[in-house]
Amino acid sequence: MTPVHFSFSSAFVLGLMGLTFHRTHLLSALLCLEGMMLSLFIALALWALQFEMTGFSAAPMLLLAFSACEASAGLALLVATARTHGTDRLQNLNLLQC
Amino acid sequence: MHLTTLILSSSLILVIAILIYPLLTTLNPNPQDQKWAITHVKTSVKAAFLMSLLPLMIFLDQGAETMFTNWHWMNTAPFDMMSFKFDHYSIIFTPIALYVTWSILEFASWYMHSDPLMNRFFKYLLLFLVAMILLVTANNMFQLFIGWEGVGIMSFLLIGWWYGRADANTAALQAVLYNRVGDIGLIMAMAWLAMNLNSWEIQQIFFLSKNFDMTLPLIGLILAATGKSAQFGLHPWLPSAMEGPTPVSALLHSSTMVVAGIFLLIRLHPLMENNNTALTTCLCLGALTTLFTAACALTQNDIKKIVAFSTSSQLGLMMVTIGLNQPQLAFLHICTHAFFKAMLFLCSGSIIHSLNDEQDIRKMGGLNLMPMTSTCLTIGSLALTGTPFLAGFFSKDAIIEALNTSHLNAWALILTLIATSFTAVYSFRVVYFVTMGTPRFLPLSPINENNPSVINPIKRLAWGSIIAGLIITSNFLPSKTPIMSMPLTLKLAALLVTIIGLLTALELTAMTNKQFKITPTIPPHHFSNMLGYFPAIIHRLTPKLNLSLGQSIATQLIDQTWFEATGPKGVSSLQVKMAKTVSDAQQGMIKTYLTIFLLTTTIAILLTMI
Repeated sequence: MTPVHFSFSSAFVLGLMGLTFHRTHLLSALLCLEGMMLSLFIALALWALQFEMTGFSAAPMLLLAFSACEASAGLALLVATARTHGTDRLQNLNLLQC
Repeated sequence: MHLTTLILSSSLILVIAILIYPLLTTLNPNPQDQKWAITHVKTSVKAAFLMSLLPLMIFLDQGAETMFTNWHWMNTAPFDMMSFKFDHYSIIFTPIALYVTWSILEFASWYMHSDPLMNRFFKYLLLFLVAMILLVTANNMFQLFIGWEGVGIMSFLLIGWWYGRADANTAALQAVLYNRVGDIGLIMAMAWLAMNLNSWEIQQIFFLSKNFDMTLPLIGLILAATGKSAQFGLHPWLPSAMEGPTPVSALLHSSTMVVAGIFLLIRLHPLMENNNTALTTCLCLGALTTLFTAACALTQNDIKKIVAFSTSSQLGLMMVTIGLNQPQLAFLHICTHAFFKAMLFLCSGSIIHSLNDEQDIRKMGGLNLMPMTSTCLTIGSLALTGTPFLAGFFSKDAIIEALNTSHLNAWALILTLIATSFTAVYSFRVVYFVTMGTPRFLPLSPINENNPSVINPIKRLAWGSIIAGLIITSNFLPSKTPIMSMPLTLKLAALLVTIIGLLTALELTAMTNKQFKITPTIPPHHFSNMLGYFPAIIHRLTPKLNLSLGQSIATQLIDQTWFEATGPKGVSSLQVKMAKTVSDAQQGMIKTYLTIFLLTTTIAILLTMI
């Protein structure tokens, strides 16, 4: 595997592990999600270059646009959580569950 | 064609046509005039009676019986559609039934004169009469069944004539339900006959039945007779049927309809001759019925109920006679019983109307103001108890003699003799309370018997009660020779027990004004007055058991078991249990889910790599 491939693959896996193993803050999950999106962006851009498909060059832009939407949705959820629960700490969220 | 058969058949067809004609005039859309009941119905019955005397005379003269098939509609193998059998039973019964009906219709034109629906009443009575004639002249079981059901339905309609009264509706429903239970027996017998003998023609049944064990259909027929003729077990409908108007009680529930069951057994008697089970059943059932209902009649206070119980007791006596293998004596008793029982009912009706609809005998008395009615009441009661040489004597005494000289059940014999003495007691009670002593009714009662349409029917039936027994026995020879020689005690047994009963009743009556016993003996009195507690128990218990069985089936079996525990709900509850067990591991723990997701992805990738 070429170093470039290794870099974005490992960035993706590390971001996924960070998403799954986040324990304290919701914000860290969102950041890891952004990291995953970034690595996917690099992967798509490299794909277009590697296979010399000029028609595929629009794909990274689309991914970026949708990731922006998703990031804003996540941030809105974060803000709502902070409004209702006070913090974004995850242990606050199921404090009232019996 | 031979003149005899021509006259016989044509006059019999004419009888039936005369009876049906007024019913056809009611199909006219224009309403009938007020007098239709009298001009059409009563006249037609009178004409039919006179017409039916012609075949009777021919039968007397030449012994000619006939059987004709009117309408071969299609090739129905088991029977022909409309087939009439005029053997000696129907030739004798038809004029008697028509005579009694004629008298009752004339009486009813007085009794029901203030009823706005009198025409409909007469139409119902005529329809009943046609159904009854169909029943007795049926040559196949299908036509008999048509007549059977017809009389049952007309009985329902007529008992519930005053349907605004809740008791009348209950009584009509009771009559239909008890008759239905009996009909099960009849249908079972017909089904057995159709399956095994392949025919519903009575001649063919007689011929083929020699090779079969006929116990099952005979039990069915006895059940049918129990229902229709109010034997013990299916008897409460008959006293309740007194809710209907008195002409209905006189026609249906004394002379004609209730003898239909006995008539069925008489008609199909050759099937029963050799079957000892059926004969013993008839004997014991009849003996039980006659004693039980006579005991119930002893303490009743409604005059119509006493006469109804006496009818039931006489029907039990007829059943006993059939059990003795003497169908002709039973038939003779049917014929003589029709006269005096109808007359007793007509006298009761006359008294009831004259005392302004008072039916309680404790409120009657001193009715020498109605000489004709009270005389005929006495004549009827004497005929009922079997006073020598009145109508009832010839049949009743012959029955008791046959009972005494046969090698049969002594228990049945004792019961019948006790019932005969009870007959004397309650008949005397009726006559004493109604006609003797000082009057206990209201002073301004409209006592009136100078209307000829009251007096003439009662007079006609009185003549019948006096001479019918003599005429019938002297003209029609029995086919089974009665035993002529027996010890003197046995010969006089019926008379002796009747006189003993009468003397006991006289003694008890003489003791009442000496205040011998101020209060009645409570348990026997209540047993007799409440009809042996039979209706009180059965009418509540059986429906309650059935309904609670139905409810437990519907609720516990179907709703709670099939639907909830094993059916759709059972499946869903099983699924819910499994889902709950699984979802214990799914508590909204996103972190765990994501961890599992990562692990799964890793393993999948490694598996595909390696």
